[in-house]
Amino acid sequence: MADKIPLSLTINGTTHTLAVPPERTLLDVLREDLRATGTRRGCDQGSCGACMVLVDGEPVFSCLSLALPLRDRAITTIEGVEQGNALHPVQQALVQHGAVQCGFCMSGIVITAKALLDRNPHPTVEEVRQALGSNVCRCSGYAKVVEAIASVGGRP
Amino acid sequence: MRYAEPQTVEEGVALLASTEHARCLAGGASLVAMMHAGHAAPAMLVSLHRIQELSAITETPEGLWVGAMVRHRTVAADTRLRGAMRVVRSAAEQLAHPAIRNMATVGGSVGLADPNTEIPVALVAASAQVEVAGPSGRRLVPVESLFVDRFQTSLGRDELITRIFIPRGPEGAVGHHLRFSRVSGDYPTVSISLVLAMEGATCRQARVAVGCCGPVPLHVAAADQRLVGTPLGEQDIAEAGQLLARAASPVDDVRGSAEYRRLLIPRLLGRAVSLAREPAHG
Repeated sequence: MADKIPLSLTINGTTHTLAVPPERTLLDVLREDLRATGTRRGCDQGSCGACMVLVDGEPVFSCLSLALPLRDRAITTIEGVEQGNALHPVQQALVQHGAVQCGFCMSGIVITAKALLDRNPHPTVEEVRQALGSNVCRCSGYAKVVEAIASVGGRP
Repeated sequence: MRYAEPQTVEEGVALLASTEHARCLAGGASLVAMMHAGHAAPAMLVSLHRIQELSAITETPEGLWVGAMVRHRTVAADTRLRGAMRVVRSAAEQLAHPAIRNMATVGGSVGLADPNTEIPVALVAASAQVEVAGPSGRRLVPVESLFVDRFQTSLGRDELITRIFIPRGPEGAVGHHLRFSRVSGDYPTVSISLVLAMEGATCRQARVAVGCCGPVPLHVAAADQRLVGTPLGEQDIAEAGQLLARAASPVDDVRGSAEYRRLLIPRLLGRAVSLAREPAHG
């Protein structure tokens, strides 16, 4: 067992002080140490996007991100997306369009969509599709998802 | 497993020299996936993310130096990579999918030496050079001689990649990367990177590299030469493509049989040449 190394991580604006072994990923820290299970474990290979989080506003795979190099970075997870007690506009749109299905991939998709809309508030359908290139829905229900995200920016 | 975050290249080199089975951690996109799959179990991770010089991009009259820790997303957006250098930008734009481009780095791609990914192929077409730091200082290696086998480089175990030089290439040259894949975001079945310089209607210089068709990016000087001095007509491209296809050593896998890959090479070469020569290309 590797030695643990002290670490503080800023997640959704709150700083957490931990001690983790070097091979521990952000996904492990979130789900197992902090019991924040909104971020899903899918493939553990950076192929499915279920574990997507934002690091300094950019979508990255938490399953491929070791926790230690993330000191001093701003991490946003699905738990940090709601505004007060209200759903984020992306979440509202997904519900309104009936685009949630089983929901396993949804945390990652919401995170990716939030990053896209923060950077580009009026994406075209094609831009939504490009941005979602890192997210796989095994139900393959992309049509309504894309429609919902594009509707937030007013260019359905 | 041990873990270190050196602040300078020299500290990084000393750490690598002091430990058997140490690995540099760049973006983590491949190494961490390999660790999860049990394909890598380093005794020590030397994280490069605090070494500031590795994130720099520097322009000179001769070309662009891209730091090893520069991410593909940044390369894909850098408009200074034009003309012949455009081949590298074009490859970065098409590599995997957005979250991988947010994480993975140029130095990581070179150090991994996966012949199925985009950047090694593009760097070979661009005649790039790799700056490598070791205990006795720094050396510059042509990227082509850095790749020695599938996932193997000529780097010593106490050496690390600091930056990559992408030369501006001949006046008026254009570069393009073309990948054929079953689905966007998957590894390519075959990819082609090329740099062309025309003089009027005649090709004055050509450099073609093929990905996914052997243990290292495939480059055949005779194929380049077959294009030089020609108007890049159908016959010229078909024959250059045949030279490449004959030299290729592809494998059969889920993305295509070896035979299919050989058939694709001349066809993709033709398409890549057309795309590179489009007037709006830039």
